[in-house]
Amino acid sequence: MKLASIKYLTGEGFKSVWANRLMSLASTGVLVACMVIIGLAILIAENVNMAVGNLEKQNVVMAYMKDYTWALYDEDRPENTSSEETTEQADKNGIKESDYIIHNEKEAKALCDEIAKLPNVAEVTYVSGEEGLESTKNILPDGQEEYFTFLEEEYGNPLSGAAKVTMTDMALFNETVEQIKKIEGVSSIQSQGDLADTLNALKKGIGVAGIFIISILVIISLVIVSNTIRVTMYNRKLEISIMKAVGATDAFVRIPFVVEGMLIGIISALISEGLLYFCYRVATETIISTLGTTDIVKYSEMALPLLLVFLAIGILAGVIGSVIMIGKYLKKEGSEFAAI
Amino acid sequence: MEQFLNQNIAFKEEKPIIEFRGVSKTYPGGTHALDDVNIKINNGEFVFIVGSSGAGKSTFMKLIMREEKTNIGKITVNGFDLTSMKRKQVPMLRRTMGIVFQDFRLIPTMNVFDNVAFAMHVVGASGKDVRREVTKALSKVGLGHKARSMPNQLSGGEQQRVGLARALVNSPDLIIADEPTGNVDPNMSYEIVSLLTEINKKGTTILMVTHDHNLVRDFHHRVIMLDGGKIVADNAGGDLA
Repeated sequence: MKLASIKYLTGEGFKSVWANRLMSLASTGVLVACMVIIGLAILIAENVNMAVGNLEKQNVVMAYMKDYTWALYDEDRPENTSSEETTEQADKNGIKESDYIIHNEKEAKALCDEIAKLPNVAEVTYVSGEEGLESTKNILPDGQEEYFTFLEEEYGNPLSGAAKVTMTDMALFNETVEQIKKIEGVSSIQSQGDLADTLNALKKGIGVAGIFIISILVIISLVIVSNTIRVTMYNRKLEISIMKAVGATDAFVRIPFVVEGMLIGIISALISEGLLYFCYRVATETIISTLGTTDIVKYSEMALPLLLVFLAIGILAGVIGSVIMIGKYLKKEGSEFAAI
Repeated sequence: MEQFLNQNIAFKEEKPIIEFRGVSKTYPGGTHALDDVNIKINNGEFVFIVGSSGAGKSTFMKLIMREEKTNIGKITVNGFDLTSMKRKQVPMLRRTMGIVFQDFRLIPTMNVFDNVAFAMHVVGASGKDVRREVTKALSKVGLGHKARSMPNQLSGGEQQRVGLARALVNSPDLIIADEPTGNVDPNMSYEIVSLLTEINKKGTTILMVTHDHNLVRDFHHRVIMLDGGKIVADNAGGDLA
């Protein structure tokens, strides 16, 4: 096709959007509605993912260590082998150094480092027995911390040192817990496996629902643009019949409609982006002021991906819609157009 | 022998632009529109196609424009073999002809200039060529001063002249006019056929379907009469009416 033809046809596509402005307006309106809903679905999914991610970060695993407190209190502690077998002297509580594995903070931190080497471990922090006791007291309701105070005064700190572990992928939660358990020096694990499972199920559900909603809306967009182009073509069947009578090729007839479809798609994408920005801003401001949370995905982070999604939908709907709809018109000849 | 040679020489000089050999056309519903039609229309001829409704005139024209395909026989138009022609070659065939419709078929949203220019854009002409040729074609039909008018601002005769300018603008070898005077008054009918005759004098072959016996009688051109899908008369003198 000659350059002059491409220039002419592109111009015709632009003119056609204006010439059929009512129809263009109607299809732009419906496309915008679809795109805004798609955008909202994406933003909601992103926000839920972020919330789940935050929950995941809080869902830490405490790996308690086989230290002095463990040897003193734990039910699974080794039998106190008496001093008859070794020269080692037991202390006042009857505990010898060989009865436990983690003897000091240096060894505890070395154990943390070892846990950190596991593939799914994001972060490991050492929490000493004292720190653990302090934070436990803080989260207990008023008056109940006295129980711990009593224990502490009577026997010393009842809590062992622990490694506070955060994971990268919650889907590998149970596997990672098993790996931690196998490390020498780890006595027990305190975790919320159920919560991890729930969060994983939630993430999967949102993913599937998101894809489902978006797929349906993309199909709806395609149908809408196809119908718009069908109506446009019906209105312009005279033009098409003349085009064919004077020797227009299929491509020549098709290009203005494709350009028109693309243009409507691009305009709809830009309007949707602006509209969604406005709606999202209003919604987030309301959420922040009422719930006080600031854990909300920023629109600026999503603006470009959303625009690209909208443009892809708009252009795809425009091109595919016009190609599908014009196909059957192209096979018509002369008087057959009058019968359409 | 001499007579045979003379005939042969004459045949070579008068190159057929349209040739039907044993052409029959039956529509899917079973209607026999054309039955064993054999005809040659030479380059530079002006031919009236006449006949009553249902005689096969429209099918005859549609076959030439390749809007329909023949069931039996062979059709050649402007050097194209329409029988074996592929769909994608049809636009190339149509670019060698100009078509004038009874109902004008002007695009109502385009002005006169753009309606004529449209046919040139289809063949990929440059903007400069379009301006020059459209102006020339509109002058030929006497509508140079109405280039910016919209179709609804023109009379029926003027609209048909725009249609004629559109058919002429690509300088085709063949103009097919399907009852071009059907929607205009008698004076304008004469004017349109006069214009077509002028164009024919410059070498363009004209094929015109008409019901108007006065036109056939007054313009002395070849007349082909169809009836029941057959050619019942073919008079090169134009005295059929």
